[in-house]
Amino acid sequence: MRGLRLLVPALALLLGILTVVSSPGALAQKRGGTLVMIVQPEPPSLASYQNTAAPIGQVAAKIYDGLLEYDFDFKPHPSLAKSWTVSPDGKTITFKLQEGVKFHDGKPFTSADVQFTFMNVLKKVHPRGPITFRDLEAVDTPDPYTAVFRFSKPAPYAMAALSGYESPILPKHVFETGDLMNHPNANKPIGTGPFKFVEWEKGQYIRLDRNPDYWRKGEPYLDRIVARFIADAGTRTAAMEKQEAQLAAFSAIPGVELSRLKALPFIDVSIKGYEMISPIVLIELNTTKKPFDSQKVRQAVSYAIDRKAIIDTVFLGYGKPATGPISSNFEANGLYSKDVTNYAAPNAIEMANKLLDEAGYPRKGDGVRFEIVHDIIPYGEDWRRMGELIVQQLGKVGIKVTLRYEDVPTWLRRIYTNYDFEFNSNFLFTLPDPVLGVHRTYWSKNVRPGAPFSNSARLTLPKVDELLEAATVEPDHAKRAALYHQFQKIVVDEAPVIWVTELNFTTVSSKKLKDYLVSPLGVYTSFNRAWLE
Amino acid sequence: MRARLRFLARRLALAVPTVLFIVIANFVLLHLAPGDAAEVLAGEAGSATPEMVAQLRQKFGLDQPYHVQLARYLGRTLTFDLGYSQRQGMSVAELIGKRLPATLLLMGTTIAIAIGIGVLLGVLAARGLNTWRDRLISVFALLSYATPLFWAGLMLIVVFSIKLDWLPTSGMENVAAFYEGPKRIVDIARHLVLPALTLSLFYLALYTRLMRAAMLEQSGMDYVTTARAKGLDERTVVFRHILPNALLPVVTMAGVQVGALLGGSVVVETVFAWPGLGQLAFDSLFSRDLNLLLGIFFVCACLVVVANLLVDIAYTWLDPRIELD
Repeated sequence: MRGLRLLVPALALLLGILTVVSSPGALAQKRGGTLVMIVQPEPPSLASYQNTAAPIGQVAAKIYDGLLEYDFDFKPHPSLAKSWTVSPDGKTITFKLQEGVKFHDGKPFTSADVQFTFMNVLKKVHPRGPITFRDLEAVDTPDPYTAVFRFSKPAPYAMAALSGYESPILPKHVFETGDLMNHPNANKPIGTGPFKFVEWEKGQYIRLDRNPDYWRKGEPYLDRIVARFIADAGTRTAAMEKQEAQLAAFSAIPGVELSRLKALPFIDVSIKGYEMISPIVLIELNTTKKPFDSQKVRQAVSYAIDRKAIIDTVFLGYGKPATGPISSNFEANGLYSKDVTNYAAPNAIEMANKLLDEAGYPRKGDGVRFEIVHDIIPYGEDWRRMGELIVQQLGKVGIKVTLRYEDVPTWLRRIYTNYDFEFNSNFLFTLPDPVLGVHRTYWSKNVRPGAPFSNSARLTLPKVDELLEAATVEPDHAKRAALYHQFQKIVVDEAPVIWVTELNFTTVSSKKLKDYLVSPLGVYTSFNRAWLE
Repeated sequence: MRARLRFLARRLALAVPTVLFIVIANFVLLHLAPGDAAEVLAGEAGSATPEMVAQLRQKFGLDQPYHVQLARYLGRTLTFDLGYSQRQGMSVAELIGKRLPATLLLMGTTIAIAIGIGVLLGVLAARGLNTWRDRLISVFALLSYATPLFWAGLMLIVVFSIKLDWLPTSGMENVAAFYEGPKRIVDIARHLVLPALTLSLFYLALYTRLMRAAMLEQSGMDYVTTARAKGLDERTVVFRHILPNALLPVVTMAGVQVGALLGGSVVVETVFAWPGLGQLAFDSLFSRDLNLLLGIFFVCACLVVVANLLVDIAYTWLDPRIELD
């Protein structure tokens, strides 16, 4: 008995050594297993062609493929399109499609589905589609495996918007009948992706099973993906800690818990996989009213905000000071420019005070120059804490700030319909191309009452409009980058908004989960190569 | 029996205007909140054109004047058609139907635990007045009463789920396994333990205190002295004479609290990801899914009416002097 007790660990050790010695550099992918991922909050639907909300994208991207995928340099790679050519004038893109691909209902995928998806769906009901594909005149289908996109003007940004998340390819035979705004298959999606929709128990989970007829032979490796909904952040943390779930993205695990979780031997924390989303925390100023109608006041406030302190105390180090409207993630393709006014200057407080004096807002007897109300984006505690910090920071330069916190519908109406605000915190996804995610905040033609996350600062700058419109249709990448550099310089100097931080979302995962993070779209990808150890 | 049936019929008839009044009041109150479902959907999408918002609004029927919307809603409610949740893409009746079992399971278990243990502890405390047993129970009741539900819930998760690894953290069933048959029942029961315990704590404390006070009050009554004088043993005096009389206030309280329980369960459902009506109501409020919210309120109003009716009937069993009339 005694001998046996020693024998077992000894054998185990020997086996361990053998495994380590015999395994090659990379581990072989293993088939099977269920991935439980926490998706927060529960998605309102699965119609990713109609609603781009994050929870929808995380689930639907496993079901619907796109024409392209992207690598970390934002370069396109084949997906449903196996190759493509762009005409020299940038107005025609010809896609050659994969052959032998089947939708989950067994019907074949052809160029007719591509034509239908772009012309009848994305251009009409997608939240961003009418803007992204506004110059797309037609999709020609000379044969079942060729789709020719004809644009009236060059659309260099469109190539960045063809992922399964941004532009999911739908089956024409399913979606051509019925009301697209309220389709019976909205919540019973049928795509070509590696996972098939099985069931949605509202309030609990969505279950996706492996698609055995997936067009990439041998993939996917996982048998099943279950998206679970847990409304309480503490419980989400507990579920990860107990290994009931293996993945929680989009900062579903609160920052305060991360250092503790990170210390666990089986947990990974990553900030990668959001490069094509690039959220920027900013403060929108109402430039049509006193005091923010004055450029000097806007600049002063921008100087007075201590970005580093906000990142360290509110976002617990997960972030990077923002310098302007385009995220530094776009350094990878040259669109980002550092050559702008630096509001994080060492003498920032001094500058702020000077500018406020010049703008005609001297300190009064009690040291206060003027009072403002700070509307807080109602997306959780972090934003409230940021508001409290801003009260202190602006207090130092003589601006008295009162905080206002409302629920989402009330806030949306106040900021984007009634424009009844002065100083509003927000975070915006700047997306894979400035045309898609940046223009909306600064282009004067995007002052559109009633449209959430449009241009609420409402500063009209003809030069900015001109640059944005030119960059939209400039097919030459270097020239386009130069236009954006100019745009950044002007708009940062005008400061219609205050750029605070480039927010880092965090992804908490089990170390057993491999190869899920393969793209700047992170969890918005299909997980066709993800596997569990 | 006939009197009871007549009573039932009359009470049900009276319930109709009550429920209707609740429906109208809810409708008016909810429409006072700024913002609407179309805006929320557009906001969630991250970007949308004003044309799209207008299109959504028209589809949801939100472009109509309020009185038209109210008239339409009332008309539908009278035929028990609760309408359609545009946001969830499902009929309200179906959505509520899917969530109601989870809510009833949690509520039923909670009421059973709270009344069962609460009454027991109350009796024990009253019988051992001012002994260590009474003090211990009183301290326990005070602590349970004063502990915030969400905190108690999270602590139970930490202890029983993470540290001891006995029970799952949250949810209603194991979603990696998808059990079937008897295994599924065991699985759901295991998931039910912590939320039911958490939600019971507060009510348990309440019933313990109430029961203790009622027992003490009844013990001093003349009929108890009479019973003792007849030479009945202590057991019979307590259980046949004092207990049924002392139960009346507890039953009254329980009836009133069915409504509160539905509300209190929002916190517990959120902490334990329990797929009940509370969470659904909470979500639908913040997404201004008014059809759904009104539907939930309607169902809750009906539940409360029925619960009160049951309490009235329970009185007649506990105390034959009370007549239904």
